Amino acid sequence: MTNLIGYHTTQFGELWDKSLFDLVEEAINGVLKQTSLSNKQIDAVFFGNMLAGVLENNLHSTSKIAEILKVNIPIFRAEAACASGGAAFNLSKTYLDSNSNKNVLVVGAEKMTDYSPEEAITGLSAASSGEEQEAGLTFPGLYGMMANFYLEKYQYTEKSLAYVSVKNHYHGSLNEKAHFRKKITINDVLRSPYVAYPLKVLDSSPISDGSSVVVLTNNQDMIKKQKYSVAVLASEVVTDTISLKGRKNLDEILATKIAADIAFKKAKINRDDINVAEVHDCFSIAEILAMEDLGFWKKGAGGQKIKEQSTMFGNGGNLIVNTSGGLKAAGHPVGATGIKQIGEIFLQLTNQAEKRQVKNVKYGLAHNVGGSGGTAVVTILAS
Amino acid sequence: MISPIKIWRRQKEIRKILGKKGKVLLWTKIYTPGSDFKKYAPYPVVLVELENKDKIYGQLVDYDENDLKTGKKVVSILRKVRSSSEEGVIAYGVKFKPL
Repeated sequence: MTNLIGYHTTQFGELWDKSLFDLVEEAINGVLKQTSLSNKQIDAVFFGNMLAGVLENNLHSTSKIAEILKVNIPIFRAEAACASGGAAFNLSKTYLDSNSNKNVLVVGAEKMTDYSPEEAITGLSAASSGEEQEAGLTFPGLYGMMANFYLEKYQYTEKSLAYVSVKNHYHGSLNEKAHFRKKITINDVLRSPYVAYPLKVLDSSPISDGSSVVVLTNNQDMIKKQKYSVAVLASEVVTDTISLKGRKNLDEILATKIAADIAFKKAKINRDDINVAEVHDCFSIAEILAMEDLGFWKKGAGGQKIKEQSTMFGNGGNLIVNTSGGLKAAGHPVGATGIKQIGEIFLQLTNQAEKRQVKNVKYGLAHNVGGSGGTAVVTILAS
Repeated sequence: MISPIKIWRRQKEIRKILGKKGKVLLWTKIYTPGSDFKKYAPYPVVLVELENKDKIYGQLVDYDENDLKTGKKVVSILRKVRSSSEEGVIAYGVKFKPL
């Protein structure tokens, strides 16, 4: 059985005094210290990053990480747009499944705020189809299309979407590492300017810098020695068409549905066993679709369910969602996001989540999406 | 800069899908575009299902706000799509106008 024994993350935000690899180094040093592991005890590293090649002509990051760690071990980079972190995690678990008694670092990082919003948006749109790029579509635009379709089909309004951001900003206010610590109101969301109709600035995750890292091991002695440890019950990667137009149903992310079904089957638990989840809320509509496609809410019910705010910390619900603040408030350094989500579940399952600690948590789920749904990763952890 | 070869390769396909009628399946209006589209913002983008069931993306032009709705009938036309630099090749492609 593979266990997760440590997590460290840098601050997420506009970190102008730090480079991509300053952040990677800070995250790695943090987790090694926390787990009392030396660099020599690390057998492999998996790195999730999307944009360094596109934005700063910076590839072969694997070798740069070897330089930072001062090791000569296998290091791999995974790229699956905003699911790069989740994909790296999945590969590291697969690596451990075929190699016994190993310790692996899974690092995710992104450096985005060195560039203008237009440059970052152009870089991110590399993860959409050529035809979508040529039409001037952006990721807010693709999710805006899905939002329009969903709101029209199930008769909801822009206000229905705003509840997602209000909840996640409240959670962000409780997370010291979050990009945004400010609580917001429904009116703040509704009054913010449009990014891609019907999505507004406060429906959208920000452009952030940050790096997060977890340590996975299948060395049973190592697991016993560690203060904190959670079991990885399942990690599933599923892909779909890169283009939105190739999908049969436009009010769902099929890859999420398939990944969740397989993950729950492998973990041998039910949806209502999950107490905490980090779902991919790159835009408000994405959290609603995720909750439905993961099987927590019925299709089409999300616009009503989110209004009840049962997934908000402190409201006594059985399932609390995005305690980190989600992508919306914690920030979205794309390669780091999938690792931060898994790390947040680790913190919750080991009672280290401080002000936002949910009581009596046994199982947690992380859900990471690449592009408009071309990749989905679902991970289930148990304390 | 967009590679002129890439534009040349795409344009062989574009002529086959001009003057086609269809209806809007999905739409949005982009207010914060990428670098190449900055000067056109805000602009609507639609996904259109043509009469032969093919689906094509494009910007909607010559529209008024009432045209921005699912099911709106449109026709494909040839328009300038983007020019990424002063000296680069100008890319032409498909856009739609309301019927």
